[in-house]
Amino acid sequence: MAGSDEVVARVTSGVDVFAADAEVGRDLAAVDWAGTPLGPPQGWPQSLRTAVNILLSSRFSMWMAWGPELTFFCNDAYRRDTLGQKYPWALGRPASEVWQEIWQDIGPRIDRVLEIGTATWDEGLLLFLERAGYPEETYHTFSYSPLRDEHGAVVGMLCVVTEDTERVIGERRMATLRDLGSDPSVIRTETQMLEFAGVQLGGNQRDLPFTLTYLFDEAGSPALAASSGVTGPVDAVAGSVEVWLDAAVRAGVTRLVQLDRGAGESLPTGEWPLPPVQAMVVPLRQQGETPLGFMVMALNRYRPLDEAYRAFVELAAGHVAAGVLSARSYQAQRSRADELAALDRAKTTFFSNVSHEFRTPLSLITGPVQQLRAWMSDPDAHPPASVREDVEVIHRNGLRLGKLVNTLLDFSRIEAGRMQARYEPVDLAAVTLELASSFRSAVDQAGLRFDVDCPALPQRVYVDRDMWEKVILNLLSNAVKFTFDGSISIRLTGHEDHVVLEVADTGTGIAETEMPRLFERFHRVEHARSRSTEGSGIGLALVKELVGLHGGSITAVSREHQGTTFTIQVPFGRAHLPAECVVEEPGQDDGGAPGTAESFVQEALRWQPTPELSRPASVDGPADTEHPVAAPLVSGPMAGRVLVADDNADMRGYLARLLRGTGHEVRIVSDGQAALEAIRADPPDVVVSDVMMPRLDGLELIAALRADPRVASVPVLLLSARAGQEASVQGLEAGADDYLVKPFAAADLLARVRANIGLARLRAQHARWRTALVDSLQEGFFLSDADGTLVEINAAFATILGYGPDGLPYPQPYPWWPDPKGDPHAYQLVVEEHARALERGTGEATVPATHRDGHRVWLRSTFSRVEDPVTGEHLVVGTIRDVTAEHYTTRRDAALATLAEHVASADTVSQALAATVIALQRIWSARHVAVASFAAPPTGSGDVGEPDVVRVSDRTEWAELAPAVRDAIRGMCTAPALTPQVELPGCVGISMTHLDGVVAVRIDLGPHRTISPEDQALLSVLAGRLSQSLHRLYELDQQRETALALQHAILGPDALPDGFAVRYQPASRPLQIGGDWYDTVPLSEGRIGVVVGDCVGHGLAAATVMGQLRSACRALLLEHGDPAQALAGLDRFAALLPGARCATVLCAVLDPATGHLVYSSAGHPPPILAHADGTTTTLEGGHGIPLGVRINRPRDLDSVTLPPRATLLLYTDGLVERRRRSLSEGISRAASAVHDAREIPVNALASHLMTSLAPDSGFEDDVAVLIYRQPGPLQVEFPAQASELPPVREAVRDWLTRCDVDPHQATNVLIATGEACANAVEHGHRHHVNGVIRLRATALAHAVRITVIDSGSWKTPDLRATAVGRRGRGIPLMRGLMHQVAIHPTENGTTVEMYARITA
Amino acid sequence: MTAPLTLTTGHHPDGRPLLTAHGEIDLTTIAEFGAALATAVGDGRPVVVDLTGVDYLDSGAINALFTHADHLHLIVNPLLMSAMTVSGLTTLVTIEQSTTQA
Repeated sequence: MAGSDEVVARVTSGVDVFAADAEVGRDLAAVDWAGTPLGPPQGWPQSLRTAVNILLSSRFSMWMAWGPELTFFCNDAYRRDTLGQKYPWALGRPASEVWQEIWQDIGPRIDRVLEIGTATWDEGLLLFLERAGYPEETYHTFSYSPLRDEHGAVVGMLCVVTEDTERVIGERRMATLRDLGSDPSVIRTETQMLEFAGVQLGGNQRDLPFTLTYLFDEAGSPALAASSGVTGPVDAVAGSVEVWLDAAVRAGVTRLVQLDRGAGESLPTGEWPLPPVQAMVVPLRQQGETPLGFMVMALNRYRPLDEAYRAFVELAAGHVAAGVLSARSYQAQRSRADELAALDRAKTTFFSNVSHEFRTPLSLITGPVQQLRAWMSDPDAHPPASVREDVEVIHRNGLRLGKLVNTLLDFSRIEAGRMQARYEPVDLAAVTLELASSFRSAVDQAGLRFDVDCPALPQRVYVDRDMWEKVILNLLSNAVKFTFDGSISIRLTGHEDHVVLEVADTGTGIAETEMPRLFERFHRVEHARSRSTEGSGIGLALVKELVGLHGGSITAVSREHQGTTFTIQVPFGRAHLPAECVVEEPGQDDGGAPGTAESFVQEALRWQPTPELSRPASVDGPADTEHPVAAPLVSGPMAGRVLVADDNADMRGYLARLLRGTGHEVRIVSDGQAALEAIRADPPDVVVSDVMMPRLDGLELIAALRADPRVASVPVLLLSARAGQEASVQGLEAGADDYLVKPFAAADLLARVRANIGLARLRAQHARWRTALVDSLQEGFFLSDADGTLVEINAAFATILGYGPDGLPYPQPYPWWPDPKGDPHAYQLVVEEHARALERGTGEATVPATHRDGHRVWLRSTFSRVEDPVTGEHLVVGTIRDVTAEHYTTRRDAALATLAEHVASADTVSQALAATVIALQRIWSARHVAVASFAAPPTGSGDVGEPDVVRVSDRTEWAELAPAVRDAIRGMCTAPALTPQVELPGCVGISMTHLDGVVAVRIDLGPHRTISPEDQALLSVLAGRLSQSLHRLYELDQQRETALALQHAILGPDALPDGFAVRYQPASRPLQIGGDWYDTVPLSEGRIGVVVGDCVGHGLAAATVMGQLRSACRALLLEHGDPAQALAGLDRFAALLPGARCATVLCAVLDPATGHLVYSSAGHPPPILAHADGTTTTLEGGHGIPLGVRINRPRDLDSVTLPPRATLLLYTDGLVERRRRSLSEGISRAASAVHDAREIPVNALASHLMTSLAPDSGFEDDVAVLIYRQPGPLQVEFPAQASELPPVREAVRDWLTRCDVDPHQATNVLIATGEACANAVEHGHRHHVNGVIRLRATALAHAVRITVIDSGSWKTPDLRATAVGRRGRGIPLMRGLMHQVAIHPTENGTTVEMYARITA
Repeated sequence: MTAPLTLTTGHHPDGRPLLTAHGEIDLTTIAEFGAALATAVGDGRPVVVDLTGVDYLDSGAINALFTHADHLHLIVNPLLMSAMTVSGLTTLVTIEQSTTQA
């Protein structure tokens, strides 16, 4: 064939040995070869010529060395990828000179190849190449294989090389970034964080030989906080901080600094022999503020500072900045927690102090009252009944207050760890029995049965008697309070090592939901029913603490409406008690402090309905009207501020005089409305008001006052002219505190005013105490009325939301609710939560709110519905806690998880961007999200052009986006990376750079939603994470593209011989190249070597091996021209080439003239031959084992003659292998596909095969296919001259014979073809002296196609005229002799296509 | 290059003049063949044209044969019969298929 003749011609004509590559060949030809040991190319041995030819014709990067000085040759790919500035200087020089700088690395390898004759393999070897004017850190994967001369002696070496620099360095940087970002949760303090970062940065001393981290203090002065890669004294390295820090860095701009230290000041070199020469100073940026500090990052002097390197350094610094910020915020949280703990301690102290303060006046009340009672019990004393009653009231309440104060005191002592216990051995049964007995009266009066079962115990129990008493009394008191019928029982039982006390009742029981909080401080169990709503909510908590001090435990079992049983266990002995608190001598068995028991009992007794409690005001009592006013002047605490409201001026004057006369401060008003205003402006201690008044009468005034929480407690004394019990009841029902009928005795009025002032003072004190208690809570406290209007809040509430008690009441909607327009999402959430809270009455909710200063806070609210004991109104009491920080932390974690979940499964950048859109939309419930990836803009140009990849939440295309949106996204690309840009209200964007350019994200929340600083911070964090993922994916993408390009570059010949069709397809999912290949090699005498092979494995590694096997196989075929010998040679090669073993190859040599095919198979699936007669066979002969398994074992050979019009299919197993199907089934499927398509040309057949055999999901493995039909097409080009016709006909006749067309049909085809050619000659000849005619004949299984194209121009394109005029019979003759004839005249010539069926 | 064509004249056993052609008739040889044919026919003699030895002819040759159709008796190679039939020559000229091939 012409092709192989050309090769022969080239290699025999001297300098044409370099013809395979025009450019490198020219430079090689220009070398003064005579001056090298190789001499002029004319004298080169065939082996060298072949090697040079293979080298130059390969597009895979290679160099070779030949001869005694290892003279250097390389091809174009090597020149481009590796040689750099050394080209063309390097050509023809000794290899040791070309690669002088790395000769110590590669020299020994080359020596080994030359001496032993075995190939080497190095993967990712670090080499310092000086190809760009400086020593450059590069990584190469390469193989050296021996080159032999005609006598088999090793005379040179061939190196096939792939540069891995980008991959190795990229992976190293990603690893550092990944490690920096790893597990930030374990980092606690700033110091720990910096240490961690230092270790991670120090782990990559190639990219960052050393780093210095400076942080600014509050004054903005920098201080060195950390370093990496520094082994000696760090100050020596850091030097003066002015070297690094300038105004730009302070403003957040990265700068590049040259490291030109004097010789004496050597810098750390990292993992390199020489110190770095440049460093980047990168500010540690924080959102919206000046930098935290900056980092000095020394740069690798062996790598250029390109975009990827810059991005890496910036990202690393970004990680450190984020880490410092996170550590600081953690620290802030911790100190906040410490402050809270301190507050808690302060509160305890406060309780303790307050309780003490109460005890002194209490004892001054209870002491004299005791004396008074003692005196009254004297038979000689005859105190008025009312006085006796009052004294009893004072006595009872004194006891009650004392009990409350003592409990609080106990509690604060326990909390402060100052409880002074005195454990002594006690006859517990006797003590318990006694306490129980003291309660019997109360239980009896409540109408309950009281079962006491306290048998003597075998030993004494160590208890603190006071504490034990409180335990018993609290439990019994509780039982009485909640039990309306049935019984109460107390049972004490001794066990082996402990004693058990059970207090059981048949009361209302406790709801299951309340059980977990039963023993909580200040938690008041909500009962459907109880004898009293009084209680501090600390009784059970105290009991639990007291039992705990005894080393015991308390449990409660309760069923609603059935009762409750408390069970206490206390161990015997004293081992569990602190020794210093144990005394062996029992104290005086005086029954404990009688006051304590009495206070409990008295309280319990008072819960019973007694006539005294509902007595009406003593209007019927004797009025000493006739007595002159002889009331003593009140002064001091009992002098009050009185407001008098009466429409009668005389009465107003009288009242004022009367009250002022006794020391009160009096204001007067003339009607109810004026009174209300005056009271609201400045609440008095008591109000004395007439009932009948204009505008607002007395009863209405009371109603108004009681409705206003701020003045609801002001006592009102009503004066009325209406006598009778009915009127007074009406007044009292309206809420009056007292009622006097005119005319009234002055002393009576003064006494009642005085009493009310006292009461008010008491109330005020109570209120102050309550306020102090509420305000001491760290949590925000609120009380709302039935309408949801907040009527009381505490100081913490004001701090959390910025709305103080001065703004009370706060009706709905509360001012801190999110703006329904500005943030409808948050507003909706609040409204829903609020509605749910109202419905449930009790529970917890987390909602957003807007602080008075506008910032967003998140609140956790705990609330319960309670009933106002006085009005019966439903109130809601609750607390709020600021959980903003927790909320955002949770949200950030959730968002990161969402993003990670979506992006992790992406294989490509495009998939990752699509996943990002979904994740971001979910995280923000955004209206619209767009993500676009742009190629890097040209340097210095702000124009980013059109994006490569666009993903939009509503799946619109880039062109369909609004121009403003497109501009916004483009604009984002030039903004600083990882910095959120709020472009419009509700729209935020961010950009991140990657290897190839920049990715811009735009999130549109809608015009009414605001982008909070927290949103921006979150977006920054997400973008940082995404950026890392994209880095990874871009690298993968690049790798995949590179690999595919490589595969195609090293696959197959550039020009296929005629009659062949080939296909290569990588595996579809995941898209992956592999080791399959096909090849054709022109051999001598027109023969063609045909190869199809399959290397083990996938990816770049397999492709690299494939390239080498393919080259080797070509060389071997050229050398031997025999498939079996070529495979035997390939066995030896494969045994030495890692990854090449077990490759399968089908190697054949075809003589197209005869269809004779000689072939040998190394474990490869058999070729398929589809005959014209419709039968198919597989070529099973010449079969052997896969490559490289056995060396020096002869390979079998078989041959077959391809019958005319038969189709040959060579393929790799990817074409026929299917899961769970046998290989033979796949082969028959392929055979029938070829058979079905045997009537179409081979190229179309190849496409048909790839489509029809591909599974729905694409090929799972890569596939290579090679198809040939015998005979190959005939292609002739000849000048448009009549004299050319006879030889052309001869060629056609010969081709038809090879097609096995019978002579009769052949003659018809020949005549028709002759006509077409003659026609073409006439036209071409007429108009173009140098016209050329092209004839192509193609065989199908049962037909031939002939195409004749002339380049002549038809001046008269009227076919019929031509046909009739000149060659009237020609065209009918063609039509008559062929089955189809089509003539296409065009401006540039005429094409005649003819088709003839061939009958067998 | 010219197609191989040899032309001999003589007499058929029945006495009619005989033109025997051997080779290929195409653009390069049609003139020679046409001239020989014209000479043989002269002013209108019946002529036997023996094309047994011709294995290729083109429409030019068929045109020439049509020109003298009334005077010709043809002996042709069976391989060329399709061309003769398709061109319609068989309707005007007596055509005898040769039994021996060239």
